[in-house]
Formats: sequence, structure tokens, C-alpha cells
Amino acid sequence: MKKLRKWSRILHRDIGYFFIGTTIIYGLSGIALNHMSDWNPNYSVSIEHSSTSINLENTPSIKNNVLILLDEIDSRKNYKKHYYPNTNTIKIFLKGGSSVLVNLKSGAVRAEYLKKRPVFYEVNFLHYNPNRIWTWFSDAFSASLILFAITSFFMVKGKKGIKGRGGIYTLLGIIIPLLFLIYYL
Amino acid sequence: MKKIVFIFAIIISIVACKTETKKTEDNHQQVESKTETPFLALGEFDTKAGDFVNKEVKIQGIVDHVCKHSGKKLLVVTDDGKVHITSDTRFNDALQGSEVSLKGIVLEERIDEAYCLKMEEDNIKSHSEGKSNKDQFDQKKEHIQQYRDRMKTENIDYISLYSLQYVSHTEVK
Repeated sequence: MKKLRKWSRILHRDIGYFFIGTTIIYGLSGIALNHMSDWNPNYSVSIEHSSTSINLENTPSIKNNVLILLDEIDSRKNYKKHYYPNTNTIKIFLKGGSSVLVNLKSGAVRAEYLKKRPVFYEVNFLHYNPNRIWTWFSDAFSASLILFAITSFFMVKGKKGIKGRGGIYTLLGIIIPLLFLIYYL
Repeated sequence: MKKIVFIFAIIISIVACKTETKKTEDNHQQVESKTETPFLALGEFDTKAGDFVNKEVKIQGIVDHVCKHSGKKLLVVTDDGKVHITSDTRFNDALQGSEVSLKGIVLEERIDEAYCLKMEEDNIKSHSEGKSNKDQFDQKKEHIQQYRDRMKTENIDYISLYSLQYVSHTEVK
């Protein structure tokens, strides 16, 4: 038992250190993605309204006219593509996911600019398993979480251990998800 | 030092336990088939897709939208039409605004009275639970009524909605 306790502590501590970065990645992205219906976890969005008198009807010079508009409100270097969702509107796509909608009759311009959220964009990217190697690494992380749970049984003895306060916390941590399952499933 | 080596050995063992030998594939890389895939212009997609249900077709258009929730849905558009694309894997959101040539399997979804009733029920439930506001509730209600009106006007039992199950794509420069 003494040896088991010793090794539980060693494994819990050292693997814990190793996965500190990964824990933060999944913790941050978990919160960000949990609230996806309340915000865009990857981009901050800003809307700008203006107006234009440039002719953006579908004529042979349309591409050039779109570029002139972009020079006014952004930069022609960001131009990607454009199309007409309906007879009264042109939608211009910019690099980085931003876009511009122009009402052809009124000349009203609505530009939606997206800006990557630093840190969140990167942790969310990893959360979604970008490739197989990351899948393996995150599997190892998940396995280590199970190992942390098991080793925690043996790490501390006495009234703060699993037979005392630790046991009560453990039971609570199991009962809460069970209650959710009983109520919502 | 021995302990650290031991811990790393455990981690490496966990990774090495993955014995799956399935060939690694880049999810959204193009796989050219040797047989010619029929091309459907988006302007005629809704009228012609019925002839290609469960078959592979090719389309071309601009990616208007990548679903921010799942990342597994695209809306591809042209001046003349649009089509929804679904995939088993996530799309890169940098695709938004790119022109793509895309292959996919035509899927058909039939909207009939039973489907409308189900949508109606879900809409009421969602609104009563506070998951949708009054505008969203009314919008959905109107949408369901449009389906019913169309079925009545065209004297049909169901409306077919077509989409594509993603197979591959290439960006058109």
C-alpha cells in the first residue's frame, strides 16, 4: 500500500506537470465552446455602416468597381470574391472571413469585419482535433485524466483521503452528473 | 531521473497503444475519380438534383458560409442558386469566400405534412422552453406555412429539398 501511495503521488504529480499546458488548452476552449450560442468563440465581429455611390451593378467593370469600393472602406488587397445574393444586393468576400454587403439601390454598405480572437482561436483549433497526431496526444491526455482519478484514491491517507473528506467529494462529483442524467435523459 | 524516464515510458506506451493502421488521410483533400462526375450548375441544382439522388455530382460556387457551430456544413452559392453541403469532418473556416469546385453525393429530404407537424411541435416546444424568441418562433411558423402553401398550390404530397454529402473539393483560383 505504501508503494502504491508513493507511485500514485509520483504519477499524479509528474504527469500533471506534463499536461498543464494541455489542461489549460481544453479548459479554455471548453468554456469558449460551451457558450457558442452566446458569442463567436473564434472571431470578434465588428459591423460598420457607410454608403457609396459607386456603380456595383453586374457590368463588365464590376471587379474594378468593387476594388475601388474596397480602397474606400478597407483595402483592395483583401478582396477575395463577390456575388449577387439577389437582384438588389452584392456580397463581397474579404480575406480572413470578413464580408461587405451593398444595397445596389440605396448604396448602403454594411461591412462585417472578423478578427481572430487571440488564444481562443488557437485553443479552439486544437480542441477540434486538427489531425491524427493531435488525436493521439489528446487521447493520451484523456487517459491521463482517468489515471489522475484513479491515483487520487491512493494519494492521501486518513480523514482527508478517500475514506474521509475525499470520499464525500468523490461521491458528490458522481451524484451531480447522475442527477442530470436522471432528470434530463 | 529514473522516475521521469518511467513516466515518459508510460506516456509513450499509451500513444503507441493506438494500433489503428488505417491510412492517414487529409480530410478535405481531393480524391480524383477516374469516371467523369456530372456537373450541376447551382442555378439548376434544385430542378435537376432529383435525377442524381445518392449519386455523385460536381458543383462550382463561392463558399458563403461555414457553420460556426459544427464546422461541418457549408453554403455554396452563385448568382443563380445555392446548395447546402454537409460533411462528416470539419471544414477550415478560411474557405469562406473562396470559389470551390466540389464533389458530393446528392441527398434528398422530403418535407410532408408529418414533417410539418413535427416542425410545428418542435417550434412550440422550443419557444415555450425559452430557447427561441418571438421573432424566431414567428419566422419558423411562417416557414412551415410556406411549405404547406406550396404543397397545396402545386398539389403535391411532399417537397423535396436537395443537399450534398461532401466528398472532395478543390479551390478555384
